[in-house]
Amino acid sequence: MAITLMQGLMLGLFAIVAGLDSWLEVLYIFRPIISCTVAGLILGDVQMGIIAGGLTELAFAGLTPAGGTQPPNPAVCGIMTVVIAHTTGVAPATAMSLSLPFAMLMQYILLMFYSIFTVFMPGMDKAAEQADTKKFGRYAYLMMAIVCAAFFIVIFLSAYAAQTPMQALVEAMPKWLIHGFELAGAALPAVGFAMLLKVLLRMEYLPFLLLGFVVASFINYSNVLPAAVIGVVFAMIEFFRDKKNKKLQDQIEALKQSGVSGGEEDGI
Amino acid sequence: MASDEIKTTPTSEGSDKKLTSHDITMLGIRSSLLQAAFSYERMQAGGWAWAQVPVWKKIFGKDKKGLSEAMTDNMEFINTSPPLVSILMGLLTSMEEKHVSRQTIRGLKNGLFGPMAGIGDAIYWFTLMPIVGGIAASFAAKGNPLGPILYFLVYVGVFLCRIPFAHLGYNLGTKAIDVIQENSEIIARVATIMGLTVIGALISSYVSLSLKVKIGTVALQKDFLDKVFPNILPLAFTFFLFWLLKKKKVSPIVLIAVVFVLCIVCSFFGIM
Repeated sequence: MAITLMQGLMLGLFAIVAGLDSWLEVLYIFRPIISCTVAGLILGDVQMGIIAGGLTELAFAGLTPAGGTQPPNPAVCGIMTVVIAHTTGVAPATAMSLSLPFAMLMQYILLMFYSIFTVFMPGMDKAAEQADTKKFGRYAYLMMAIVCAAFFIVIFLSAYAAQTPMQALVEAMPKWLIHGFELAGAALPAVGFAMLLKVLLRMEYLPFLLLGFVVASFINYSNVLPAAVIGVVFAMIEFFRDKKNKKLQDQIEALKQSGVSGGEEDGI
Repeated sequence: MASDEIKTTPTSEGSDKKLTSHDITMLGIRSSLLQAAFSYERMQAGGWAWAQVPVWKKIFGKDKKGLSEAMTDNMEFINTSPPLVSILMGLLTSMEEKHVSRQTIRGLKNGLFGPMAGIGDAIYWFTLMPIVGGIAASFAAKGNPLGPILYFLVYVGVFLCRIPFAHLGYNLGTKAIDVIQENSEIIARVATIMGLTVIGALISSYVSLSLKVKIGTVALQKDFLDKVFPNILPLAFTFFLFWLLKKKKVSPIVLIAVVFVLCIVCSFFGIM
């Protein structure tokens, strides 16, 4: 069944909501189980939307953005799965794998945004320095607006205007350019860490930095919790040592004082 | 939770009590904006600061310098768990309200965001989502609308938890504040230690660089660097950037441009 202009626009509008949600990670309506259902509702085939949602949600169960990597976009994958199943009449499972190129396209766009939005940071820094909260907020609104627009365009074009050319575009992007963006995405956090180190790092703290690095490099664990626990251990050791030192310092001070005054008064 | 304070005016409780319970509730809701200004360089920093702007405006009032310092400090790298972040925001807001030293607030923030990200990922992505998603999907795959409805309700609950979490953090901060202020020097130091340990771990897991170059039959990355020390390249690269920033006073914008050009060129020539 073909998609009408109205349905295309409605899908685009929903893509804005789900896309913004996937950007902010607030209500999780970007997850396939919800986005498929809503897309099914818009296309007048709720039953199929729910079934597709169940299948796609399970396929995405292991694909989490935790730890900084960006899996194929679940919102776009969900919407396109239902769109493809609806327009071509294939089974939801087949439609899901056909929707992956679109989800990948959105992922590339988001990766690009993650990198490109770095250029807004100096502007936000300046607004922060001037305590200009209005200007500061405008940058945040601008970034969210760009994300929303991208989601609307991708879904509206993919679903309504041009399914075939979109698919071709994903395949035609030069591999080296996509790969270059991926590499930049993986290397850019180093700039952020370097800036953090510029503020925090002093020679006496260097051992702890290296410790955390070594722990995370050799313990292959899904998050940084083990390193954090070791950080807590050392922090506690230092804490109690500092406390003890401070107490000793106070006692020495007290002794000095009482020694001086006592010596004069008691004449011992 | 001090919900009975909702109706008291902001200034009625003395000079250092400027926030009402309602403000903290709003902070919990605004914590949704954490990732509004996400970029790779500083991750959630922009949204993190933006979400807290209203409470800071109330705390600092006419004190433009204080507001400027708070905003600038909070533009540093941060990446933590979105569903848990309101605890941290509440905690630090209570510190800001009492005008605890910037050093201490920054130290606490840097010490806490990493561990909270780990805890949050473990709870929300690796525990809650597989369980709820699995159950809901099993309903949905049979065409039962209960699946998506159940899923949606659980995550509305996750969203609503941001509000009590903000209060929890704020109340925790108000109670712990004397202890914290008394030992602020030690705590800042200890928090820095914890923070740097985590940052070390983050460098290892977030920054990735891998060479594809072969010298003869020896793959430089797989057969040499990985054998010597895995992730040595990301560490060296981070320190190189740190050196450029600190000693050469290179601007961060230049560094970002360098990273981009370097990566795309390396990709084009198949070096990485």
